[in-house]
Amino acid sequence: MAQIKLDGTSKVFGDITVIPPLDLEIGKGEFVVFVGPSGSGKSTLLRLIAGLEQVSGGRIYIEGRDITTTPCGDRGLAMVFQSYALYPHMTVRQNMAFPLEMAGEAKASINRSIEETAHVLDITRFLDRRPAQLSGGQRQRVAIGRAIVRNPTAFLFDEPLSNLDAALRSSTRLEIMKLHQQLGATMIYVTHDQVEAMTMADRIVVLNHGKIEQVGTPQELYERPANLFVAEFIGAPRMNRIEGEAAAALGAGTIGVRPEHIRIVQESGLWQATVEVIENLGAESHVHTRSDVAGPLVVRMSGSPGVKIGDRIGLSPADGFVHRFDRHGMALR
Amino acid sequence: MRTIPQQREGRLLLVPLVTFLLVFLSFPALVDIVYALSDVTFQTMRAPELVGLRNFGTVLADPEFWSACWFSLRFGGLTAFIECALGLALAIFLSPIVCRYGWTIAILMLPMMVAPSMVGLMYRLVLHEFAGPLPYYLTLWSGTSPAFLDAGHAFWTLVVVEVLQWTPFAFLLFHVAYISISSEIREAAAMDKAGAWRILWRIELPMMKATIAIALGIRFIDGFRVFDNVFTLTGAGAGGSTTSLSIYIYQSFFKGGQIGQAVAASALLFFTSLIVLYAGGMLKSYRERRRVAA
Repeated sequence: MAQIKLDGTSKVFGDITVIPPLDLEIGKGEFVVFVGPSGSGKSTLLRLIAGLEQVSGGRIYIEGRDITTTPCGDRGLAMVFQSYALYPHMTVRQNMAFPLEMAGEAKASINRSIEETAHVLDITRFLDRRPAQLSGGQRQRVAIGRAIVRNPTAFLFDEPLSNLDAALRSSTRLEIMKLHQQLGATMIYVTHDQVEAMTMADRIVVLNHGKIEQVGTPQELYERPANLFVAEFIGAPRMNRIEGEAAAALGAGTIGVRPEHIRIVQESGLWQATVEVIENLGAESHVHTRSDVAGPLVVRMSGSPGVKIGDRIGLSPADGFVHRFDRHGMALR
Repeated sequence: MRTIPQQREGRLLLVPLVTFLLVFLSFPALVDIVYALSDVTFQTMRAPELVGLRNFGTVLADPEFWSACWFSLRFGGLTAFIECALGLALAIFLSPIVCRYGWTIAILMLPMMVAPSMVGLMYRLVLHEFAGPLPYYLTLWSGTSPAFLDAGHAFWTLVVVEVLQWTPFAFLLFHVAYISISSEIREAAAMDKAGAWRILWRIELPMMKATIAIALGIRFIDGFRVFDNVFTLTGAGAGGSTTSLSIYIYQSFFKGGQIGQAVAASALLFFTSLIVLYAGGMLKSYRERRRVAA
């Protein structure tokens, strides 16, 4: 059964339709990631669910209850903001107590909840400090703690990792995933980073201009993108896009081949190309080539490349890994 | 390059500041101290005759000094409180309008642009018992009008005049503090089920605490040492009922020619404010130490 259900939900700012009517169902305990480029409406969609924005049309249901016009505090949702939005004049303990006090809980049970949550997140040491005395990662934990302590129906995350440095980002990512397993709670997570989306999500919702391009598991999106936008958005380095004759030869307007699905074949190959740039990452290499008929092509291969800049090489796509799209960018199956 | 030892370097860097203080503060301060301890008039200004603490005794025994102190305290405290309360209410209440239409700030700032002495003169005209339009129309419509500038009302008239002129200052400070609270914090509080009042009391006001303290302090100092608008509106006015401390000092200096007494009064004011500031600083550091220890 769907725990959160959007039914024709839309949002209009003035004359601009940010989100055209859209349907989506999110199951209990699911980790759903909204991903898309900036301006895709992913944050707006989250804020509609949170109740921080009023919907312009359609309805929103949580556990079957219509909460379209319910104020944000009464929806039973907790949100972790990009800036953490901790209350700077309160200690960590007071920050975490605030939502419970607002809900009118007794002091003893508030203290118990805080102690438990602080233990889970390993922030017991910081309980009497102010947010200004904490590092970015520690503030992040407190923000998550303030959300957990309320025991909400679902967690909403609005790009929570974008203010952290790369190392901290990947470790916090892991922690959020562990937390999801531990709590088994529904989580909706907004990011523009497809790596975060792929690694964390049970299901990904790819958004573009407020429209849902595709909903599916990371594997589905990677293997069977519904259109060119999803195909190019998911996967790094991005999918090679080939138009013109080379595409027409396969009966498509555009074809796409992921860099990891092209092989360098010294002699013939489907496409002849010249090596332009080589990025050697140690475990793998990205070979940037320019093909005579297919244009620029990136090849991803494990280990060192074995070719030099300026080499003439032949390239062949792996069988069964060529994605075909029609003139409108929709996948041909 | 020759390096200067750190200690000497520090002293060297302090030279301009110390020079400035010596030239602009210590000379007048010294002269003040000498005059405060002397019997001196305009005729004997270059040859003051030391009389010890007699001037201080005279001042402290002068009931007019105490009533001037009381006036200044009451005036400073009351106007600071009203200005800050009104300014805070305006800043919060008008913030949607002011944020949307920035030019409205210019209109709200207008009273501050006028020189306080001009404000005094203006109200003197507007409130004048016979010539003023306000008493005229009040009499026309209600048959009677209070005498705004008599002994019974002068204090309150001055309070209103001061508040009307300086509420915009408090408003400006609070407006800046209010809009600098990030919207995500308000949203977080709303998600935490806090209503508008609770957000105001538990989140916004505590976050504006420092600004509120500063605004109260500045407005109190400004109100305490009030001179120009009071002087032009009522003089020491209505039977001495509006003698502020500044006016008391001015009168005994220039009108009474009792330079020693006037300077002694200002010295008392100086030491009192020094003690208050020092106590404030002690309290603050004590609180901080207690917080760190806790």
